[in-house]
Amino acid sequence: MQDNAAVDTSSRFSTKYIADNEKFLGWAFLLPAVLYILLLVGVPFVLAIAFSLADVTVGDTTLNFVGLQNFARIMQTPEFWQSLRNTFGFAITAQIITIILANILAVLLSSDFRGKWFALVLIMLPWSTPIALGAIGWLWLLDSKFSPIDWVLRYFSLLGGEGALLGVPKNLYYLGKAQLAQASIIMVYVWRMLPLSAVILLAGLTSIPQDLLDQAEVDGSSFWRTLFQIKLPLILPIMIIAILFSFIYTVGDMAIVFILTRGGPVYYTHVLPTWAYIKGIEGGALAEGAAIALFIFPVLLAAAILILRYSRRTEVT
Amino acid sequence: MKLEKLVLLFSVLVVVALAISACASAPAETQIVTVEVPGETIIETVEVEGETVIETVEVEVEVPVEIEPFPEGTELDILQWSHFVPQYDTWFDPFAEDWGETNGVNVTVDHIALGELPAALTAAIDAGDGPNLVEMVFAPPQFIDGLHDLTDVNEQAQELFGEQAETCIASSYLPATDTWYGYCHGWVPDPADYVIDLWTEVGFPEGPSTWAELLEGGAAIKEQFGVPLGLGLSPELDSRLAMRAIIWSHGGSVQDENECVVLNSPETIEAVNFVADLYQNTMTEEVFAWTPASNNQGLIAGELSYILNSISAYRSLQDIDPEAADNIGFGPALLGPRGDQHASAHVWQIYVIPSYVEGAELEAAKAFLLHHTANYNQAVFNSKLYNFPAFESTVPQLDDWLEADPFGSRPADKLKVLATAKDWVTYLGYPGVANPAIGEVFSSNIIVTMMGQVALGEKTAEEAVADAEAQIEEIFDKWRDQGLVGCTE
Repeated sequence: MQDNAAVDTSSRFSTKYIADNEKFLGWAFLLPAVLYILLLVGVPFVLAIAFSLADVTVGDTTLNFVGLQNFARIMQTPEFWQSLRNTFGFAITAQIITIILANILAVLLSSDFRGKWFALVLIMLPWSTPIALGAIGWLWLLDSKFSPIDWVLRYFSLLGGEGALLGVPKNLYYLGKAQLAQASIIMVYVWRMLPLSAVILLAGLTSIPQDLLDQAEVDGSSFWRTLFQIKLPLILPIMIIAILFSFIYTVGDMAIVFILTRGGPVYYTHVLPTWAYIKGIEGGALAEGAAIALFIFPVLLAAAILILRYSRRTEVT
Repeated sequence: MKLEKLVLLFSVLVVVALAISACASAPAETQIVTVEVPGETIIETVEVEGETVIETVEVEVEVPVEIEPFPEGTELDILQWSHFVPQYDTWFDPFAEDWGETNGVNVTVDHIALGELPAALTAAIDAGDGPNLVEMVFAPPQFIDGLHDLTDVNEQAQELFGEQAETCIASSYLPATDTWYGYCHGWVPDPADYVIDLWTEVGFPEGPSTWAELLEGGAAIKEQFGVPLGLGLSPELDSRLAMRAIIWSHGGSVQDENECVVLNSPETIEAVNFVADLYQNTMTEEVFAWTPASNNQGLIAGELSYILNSISAYRSLQDIDPEAADNIGFGPALLGPRGDQHASAHVWQIYVIPSYVEGAELEAAKAFLLHHTANYNQAVFNSKLYNFPAFESTVPQLDDWLEADPFGSRPADKLKVLATAKDWVTYLGYPGVANPAIGEVFSSNIIVTMMGQVALGEKTAEEAVADAEAQIEEIFDKWRDQGLVGCTE
């Protein structure tokens, strides 16, 4: 009897000890995330570095070290430089447009109006729709021959007739002209990221203490002054987080470009992920594909560190 | 924001997303094939929309290849593309399963989009696990180190069924290593599809027969009727094939028969200048946004006067608008300025066996390949004459079918020009074989880029060809270092 009681006590003690041990619990809760990152991010990342320094192909992944040969080879192609420019050009332009529109949207949504929840559902749709499905939808909308946008423009005589504002041809060929195709891709990135950024900013706006806003009103602050001198400075840290998420997502995305243009016209809309896929998987040059993909990493790392550091510095307590 | 409202919002979003996904994946109507087997004759009845019987055709069953039953538990996992003619898949899956049942093999067949095949094979080889048999639609020599050498099955097939089509040999055999990395059972012609009444109006009732006539007639049609031609200049499959056909027909090529790079030639420069002329006079910017579906969409909508495509677009049109289908004619590869007549196959059907497949499963995969070829007349028939056989002897009915299309062409001999396809069909790498360097050049869109830049006036033909050749030389040197490309002298 006594022995049993001792065992019970010890068991209760150890359970209690574990439940109260913050150090242990901290590690236990973090472990799944750490494992997830190690296995699904760390291992592929190390593998990509190994591949980029070897002569692996899709048929043979034996690692024969070739130094920086793959990097030298990819840097000789104009497609690589165009992809590099587009990757960051598209991402930065899309972020600027997204953050401006997201601020406007968040300010609008922070006020009360009829049908607000319905508006929120509609706004969130692009984010909740699978990316491939959304991109295919845009592919149809921007089709060279059957674009409904062109149909509407023709209906209002803005396109496809003598003297039409947008030209005589029946179609605008959104994805067949380099600059229009690049603009279309940026627009789809904005369409995709706007809901997330708007909701993050909305959360920031609703967290501003009401007494601050009341005080501003009592002091006679105008709408614009309240917006630029109170609201925006206060939500700046969270705005930077929205930009960070959106930028990283855009730089790493391949689905939108791959589905809309596959890098065309010519190679003017390629981004690093699409060029890496085409070279590495479709072309069989796995090592060069890995080398191209790795160019995204240092810039993303630097961007993440800079933005996080800035975000901490500007945090308002 | 209250919790209930958040939950409500989330639920609505999930429902909407599911509804959109469901709409997108709604199954298309497929045609139904019923198969009876009395003795040694298969009677196939093709039904369209479940009602109208078009034709009943008897197809003899070839003598199957005799094999011993396999050990219990033998698996055969086949991964292949979703065929452009859905009826082929409807026929193929039970055909493979029936063979499995007869021979004690558990057969499963998975279909994916053709564009996903390279990624799927890459993943399988890298993981050392996956399907036993993978059907590729373009020569896959870049995978050679991860594939079984199929010399034995190719030799056996040649013994059983006779001569194999050259376009198939060049797409499954690599001389640099003396290896058959694949088994090519069929290929698909890529003829011209033209709108008869438009071409009749401009004086070519039989369609153009030379590239020069295409330019002349295409320009007249665009001028008079506002209908352009449709040869893609975009980074996708059809564009890559069309641009190669133009180079070959002008006497140029990427490599010679010894696998040495010879792109930078007066003939190629002439071809590039021709494409620029053709684009400026007969096409619109849509060709820079071309997708594999553009041919089909444009032809079906009556918005293109001429395309290069397999007959799948025409088969779709037969279902959608039979009268418009009557207005479609077929032509052979166009003649170049010096009489060269070449066009690539549209796709090749090449089975490969990854090197991780061993033992009874390897033998089962090889045995199935021979059984499939032995019954290739069924494959051709059920693809609605889309597939052409690698071994002509297996489909003795083919010329008769082309003379009198069992699938309702009007006139019935509309497809007879396809009987000449074996005379002008080429292969990636022509006049050399499809090696890994050719595969990378093909996938990297170097030729299409070269053509596009000149068509847009960004480079002269001489500059574009020289730049393309420099890139191609780099790629050839890299694969040559690995011993997979010839021309080592």
